[in-house]
Amino acid sequence: MTTGKLLTGKSLPRRTLLRGMGAAVALPFLDAMTPAMAATSKATGPVRMAFVYVPNGIDMRNWTPQEEGPLTAELPRILKPLEPFKQDITVLSNLTHNNGRALLDGAGDHGRCCGAYLTGVQPRKSYVDIKAGISCDQIVANQLASKTRFPSLEVGLEDARQAGDCDSGYSCAYTNNLAWRSETQPLPPVLDPRALFERLFGKGAELSPEARVREGKFRRSILDFVTGDTKKLQSTLGPTDQRKLDEYLSSIREIERQLERAEKDNAQINPGMPKPYGVPADFAEHFKLMTDMITVAFQSDMTRVLTFLVTREGTSRAYREIGIPDGHHPLTHHMNNPAMIEKVTQINTYHVQQFAGWMEKLKSIKEGDGNLLDNSMIVYGAGLSDGNRHTHEDLPTLIAGRGGNYIKSGRRIVYRRETPMSNMFMTMMDRMGVPVEHFGDATGPLPGLDLA
Amino acid sequence: MQFPGAGKPPVGVIFDADTGAGIDQALALALLYGLDGKNECRVAALTSSNPALESAQYMDAVGRFYAGAVSAAFAAVGRQLPVALATEGPAIKSPMLLGPLSLKKPDGTLVHFHNVQRMLDTAEPRAVIRNALTAQFDENAVIVCAGRATNIAAALALPGFKPWAAQKVRQLVMTEHGLATDIPAARAVLATWPGPVVIVPDAASASTPYPAASIEKDFAWSTAHPVVDAYRAYKPMPYDAPSWSLAAVLYAVRAKEGYFKLSEPGTASLSADGKLTFAATANGPHRQLLADASQQARVLEAYTTLVSAKPVPRAPRFRPPAQKVEEKKAEPVRPATP
Repeated sequence: MTTGKLLTGKSLPRRTLLRGMGAAVALPFLDAMTPAMAATSKATGPVRMAFVYVPNGIDMRNWTPQEEGPLTAELPRILKPLEPFKQDITVLSNLTHNNGRALLDGAGDHGRCCGAYLTGVQPRKSYVDIKAGISCDQIVANQLASKTRFPSLEVGLEDARQAGDCDSGYSCAYTNNLAWRSETQPLPPVLDPRALFERLFGKGAELSPEARVREGKFRRSILDFVTGDTKKLQSTLGPTDQRKLDEYLSSIREIERQLERAEKDNAQINPGMPKPYGVPADFAEHFKLMTDMITVAFQSDMTRVLTFLVTREGTSRAYREIGIPDGHHPLTHHMNNPAMIEKVTQINTYHVQQFAGWMEKLKSIKEGDGNLLDNSMIVYGAGLSDGNRHTHEDLPTLIAGRGGNYIKSGRRIVYRRETPMSNMFMTMMDRMGVPVEHFGDATGPLPGLDLA
Repeated sequence: MQFPGAGKPPVGVIFDADTGAGIDQALALALLYGLDGKNECRVAALTSSNPALESAQYMDAVGRFYAGAVSAAFAAVGRQLPVALATEGPAIKSPMLLGPLSLKKPDGTLVHFHNVQRMLDTAEPRAVIRNALTAQFDENAVIVCAGRATNIAAALALPGFKPWAAQKVRQLVMTEHGLATDIPAARAVLATWPGPVVIVPDAASASTPYPAASIEKDFAWSTAHPVVDAYRAYKPMPYDAPSWSLAAVLYAVRAKEGYFKLSEPGTASLSADGKLTFAATANGPHRQLLADASQQARVLEAYTTLVSAKPVPRAPRFRPPAQKVEEKKAEPVRPATP
């Protein structure tokens, strides 16, 4: 470990790690990491880019705010959980993914819309010879690879196969992945919280479920392995940094406790369930556990790029947690049945509630002169707008965070019809320091997001 | 949206014009929808290079006249893409737009309903042109440019557009009239369009103006027709209208029916003062449309018949209406035979 020497004007390196046997814990952004001579200038953390995708469209009647410009009125029902963070979000209307449309390829809107979402291209209709494009998150991840421990993280909450036909001839690779490393190589999301934890803190070694059970008997906190480094570092830090470090390490410990609880609960669950070992049975708990770890990964600059496939596109998952035993996908084909629309709205709102919990967490973590949310651009959205008719225009889209004092948030921006979604991705890539001349079906950068 | 097994649809037409610059454009829109109603083409996109909002409002109103009011199924097919509108260039707010758009019913609602209240209700032309092409079968699209070439040039400059155009577009048909209003755009299109271009010189349609008499007698079936109302508002009646755009649409859809002749291949170019010249060159990318005196009556017949055609309800392509099934009375429960 390299410690800071504040009195000599040298700062603590951003990528300092607390190391121990088989463990490596990255650190959050500390004041000691700011060069001493620049201490009076505005300090800020790196900008993070994330995409949170929910399937089967969103009921737009309950999503779209009536007002344009500043969000002053009460948010619509689905967005209501974001009311406390109204000034931190930007709702975008009329963004379109033309390449999610049939374009002579017939049925399969779920497969196409998810495959096209971050790649901006029309996926090849096949379940054998798959082809899409490099997704925008991976373009950024490739460029930032040398700056963080993980170029990107891909997470999800629903177990799903990666092969076979998932939608009218479209491979499951399209419906079950968001990130594409190359035209033919999707990056499957990590679903198992323990696997994600070990990826983040265990030098990347992911253990098999059986090995985990064996090791679990002897498990200690990951923090126990790095005690020596932690003490050394603490002795060099000022009181503010000491508090920050303490809070950060406590949050890691809390994640461990959540994992242990989930694994304990799992032992009592019917082993016939197709659920990876360690995955919490409760959706909200799973969401929180994964986003808590993502938060630590962002906070410690382990990665700046994330894709989060909440559940797979076209999923028929039931939401018994909120009293909905019907499948999500069949419900979205509601044919204007009010009872079914109500259930869809409840599912949409439930997703946003979980997202709001994550926003709260990110906002509570100070970083530089702002907080972690300020330094992030987190897109929340879907590849379909109306799930009943499978429409690909006016996709439900919002960006949470200010992208490092770049986005003038707290507004709804309405664009001209047919404005390509790829325009937004181009703009975000540019903000991440990875400008591209062209992406997907973009016609140019998206105007109006910035503070100017 | 096409589905496998539905068969190859008729040619898709992207109609681009600085709508409002001339009454021939309104007539051409009616002609286009007349052909659409006969299943000879599909209106794939409407784009305007006249940045006046009224231009988009009018095109939207015409589209709705032929689509929405007639058949919901037709509307579903024909109204997929919004009207696209250029944002730069001189705005033309001519009487042919303002006249019909200002007409109101006794209850105060618009006679010619449209859904374009502001620029955000329209789309960017180059994106709409590109997107419309992506939904067409190979060599099953034509683009008609009846005015300044601003939008076509903008689409052409989009990355990846040329391969789409080469693959999908049978030919680009441009009227000479209007090209001079954006010389750089016209030059760019003539120089770089990746497929056949047919130009409709002013002379090709000089002998077949659209007759005012047709407006007076052929539209009796309609109490309020957006093209008739535009015609009447454009100039004091009676007057015969030029037919540059009509010739372009008729040729674009019925290219093989001998209404016109085609010149030998050559290269068209536009001088700095906007004068179009055509030089015959072997394998040149351009051709000129030539009037055929023997076809004059036939051309006029086609114009008046198609422009005044009634909107045709199109049979829904998907989800046919459920047939009423008479409920069967439940069979009485019979005791099982021993």
